[in-house]
Amino acid sequence: MTQAEIKLCSLLLQEHFGEIVDKIGTHLIRTGSQPLRAIVHDTGTSLDQVKKALCVLIQHNLVTYQIHKRGVVEYEAHCSRILRILRYPRYIYTAKTLYSDTGELIVEELLLNGKMTMSAVVKKVADRLTETMEDGKTMDYSEVSSTFCRLADTHFVQRCPLVPDPPESADAQPPPPAPTLSINEKDMYLVPKLNLVGKGKRRRSSDDDAAGEPRPKRPKQTAESKEPIPDDGIYWQADLDRFHQHFRDQSIVSAVANRMDQTSSEIVRTMLRMSEITTSSCAPFTQPLSSNEIFRSLPVGYNISKQVLDQYLTLLADDPLEFVGKSGDSGGGMYVINLHKALASLAMATLESIVQERFGSRCARIFRLVLRKKHLEQKQVEDFAMIPAKEAKDMLYKLLSENLISLQVRCQR
Amino acid sequence: MAEVKVKAQPPDADPVEIENRIIELCHQFPHGITDQVIQNEMPHIEAQQRAMAINRLLSMGQLDLLRSNTGLLYRIKESQNTGKMKGSDNQEKLVYQIIEDAGNKGIWSRDIRYKSNLPLTEINKILKNLESKKLIKAVKSVAASKKKVYMLYNLQPDRSVTGGAWYSDQDFESEFVEVLNQQCFKFLQSKAETARESKQNPMIQRNSSFASSHEVWKYICELGISKVELSMEDIETILNTLIYDGKVEMTIIAAKEGTVGSVDGHMKLYRAVSPIIQPTGLVRAPCGLCPVFDDCHEGGEISPSNCIYMTEWLEF
Repeated sequence: MTQAEIKLCSLLLQEHFGEIVDKIGTHLIRTGSQPLRAIVHDTGTSLDQVKKALCVLIQHNLVTYQIHKRGVVEYEAHCSRILRILRYPRYIYTAKTLYSDTGELIVEELLLNGKMTMSAVVKKVADRLTETMEDGKTMDYSEVSSTFCRLADTHFVQRCPLVPDPPESADAQPPPPAPTLSINEKDMYLVPKLNLVGKGKRRRSSDDDAAGEPRPKRPKQTAESKEPIPDDGIYWQADLDRFHQHFRDQSIVSAVANRMDQTSSEIVRTMLRMSEITTSSCAPFTQPLSSNEIFRSLPVGYNISKQVLDQYLTLLADDPLEFVGKSGDSGGGMYVINLHKALASLAMATLESIVQERFGSRCARIFRLVLRKKHLEQKQVEDFAMIPAKEAKDMLYKLLSENLISLQVRCQR
Repeated sequence: MAEVKVKAQPPDADPVEIENRIIELCHQFPHGITDQVIQNEMPHIEAQQRAMAINRLLSMGQLDLLRSNTGLLYRIKESQNTGKMKGSDNQEKLVYQIIEDAGNKGIWSRDIRYKSNLPLTEINKILKNLESKKLIKAVKSVAASKKKVYMLYNLQPDRSVTGGAWYSDQDFESEFVEVLNQQCFKFLQSKAETARESKQNPMIQRNSSFASSHEVWKYICELGISKVELSMEDIETILNTLIYDGKVEMTIIAAKEGTVGSVDGHMKLYRAVSPIIQPTGLVRAPCGLCPVFDDCHEGGEISPSNCIYMTEWLEF
């Protein structure tokens, strides 16, 4: 971790969780894996406070623990995960674009609270939405629940790992120092069958206060929620990798739209949407999709004929971009999206854009030339790029000094 | 000295006859004949007479003397040259020969010296002489600007010496290249625009947005912006620079041999494209273009909190 990253993590923790959590978290980032006693000793804070700070960090998935040999439990902070806090607004905005305000608030609640039960989320979101609605209207729990189910179906939220049921064994082993959490793949997105009935409640008299008076502090837990929560123990969290996958899909679609036209980008978007759940996020190709399936899944407003769709698919497969490939002929043609190639092209385009903006279009020409041809002599660079010798030399050395190009001396025969 | 040994003079011992025979032989073997061949043809002639005939032909400039692996070769000289060299002496003829052999690449004065074994002063005198007679000319090479190569007056210098169409008088014509660059790009762009607006089915749209290198070449020739004649390879190098600019993409298709513009059964097609991403976030913020990026840290003299570029940018 670089110094700048550690400083940034420290500032983020301080802003979101306060001084003590910041101190503990930064200490963990700096020193790596540490047992509880060491943390207490090194940071000079009391055991109680360290425990609470660790609870907060674990609740938000920023710190994980591991049982090492000899039964020592060590805690480790994940700097990259802490830096993701910067992206929370983007995740919330994505949820808003996909599932409107309800989705936005659900994701916001989950991100701000780390892990929550479904009933708690539904209740809170319904209350918040009711606040913003006009007088007399309330938000129904069922609507919020259905949005929650849709979020779970598209894998944007997932269940947290649980303590597995202890096996019934004759010899009672002493409980391990820290529970090992695990979750079954199949259960990760399984929404519990809850019967949440109710409507959102408005906070009383908060709108009528005069501006200058301080608001009375409202207790978070109202007195009514004394009945047992039906899904106690089933906690949900937001799946950040799924959001990243969504961003990746978006940039692929916009790249296709820039290079080709709107219809092609819609076709690619449909293909990506169909393979959202079936393809893992680091796979090189999506699952093969047949042209008939794509035709059926196109958005309702798009009425292009089957032949036109086939033509577009052929054009996409033949394009030098190579984002779409044809993998077979059954079902009217099986097509895959070449994810690794798409990401590599986007990365290369990003690099070229940076060189272009920072150093000028001629330097960008030389940069693209060397990227494509891998190894070139100076004379060849001048000839291919058609730049006069003096300027070409100047630009090559500038790129060399910024470490964008490297020099290799070969012995002359 | 009782008897005078009368050598039976064979009827064709006449020196002129010998020379004519030798010239006939040379015509028969245009690559050159060795002494052995002449001896075989005329076995009755003595070596001395043979040598005399050959020397006469050489001095008259009708034969060339060459050295080969096997020995000396005699070759008939083309008749038109004999007219030009009137009044020149042998050394000049030798130098002229060397320059002529160098063809259109030209030859450096030091190389002439090696080949002819003449001293430098002589060479320079001869070269000046030949230049004044307008038989040879000096051409500056684009590779090393101080070097002069000599070639025959009426020959076109080779591309490697002058640099081809992009160099005029040893200067790389960057504006010319830029203008051609922009013109080619505009042509391809307008072709893509018309294809896009025609709103036909996508296959036709895409195929009509392509232009072959031959089409682009014809367009540029018709524009007439170039004083020098450009070949299709020249246009292809310009189109390659557009590819390196990221503005154009190329595909190669197989074409039948007879179609216009195809080379070796392939045809190169070019199409104007737009970049696949917008300029990235890093360079849209002032930090990506900041000249003091490496010196900036919180608490220093240059820091994000007192950055003037940031302040300006945030006041949009």
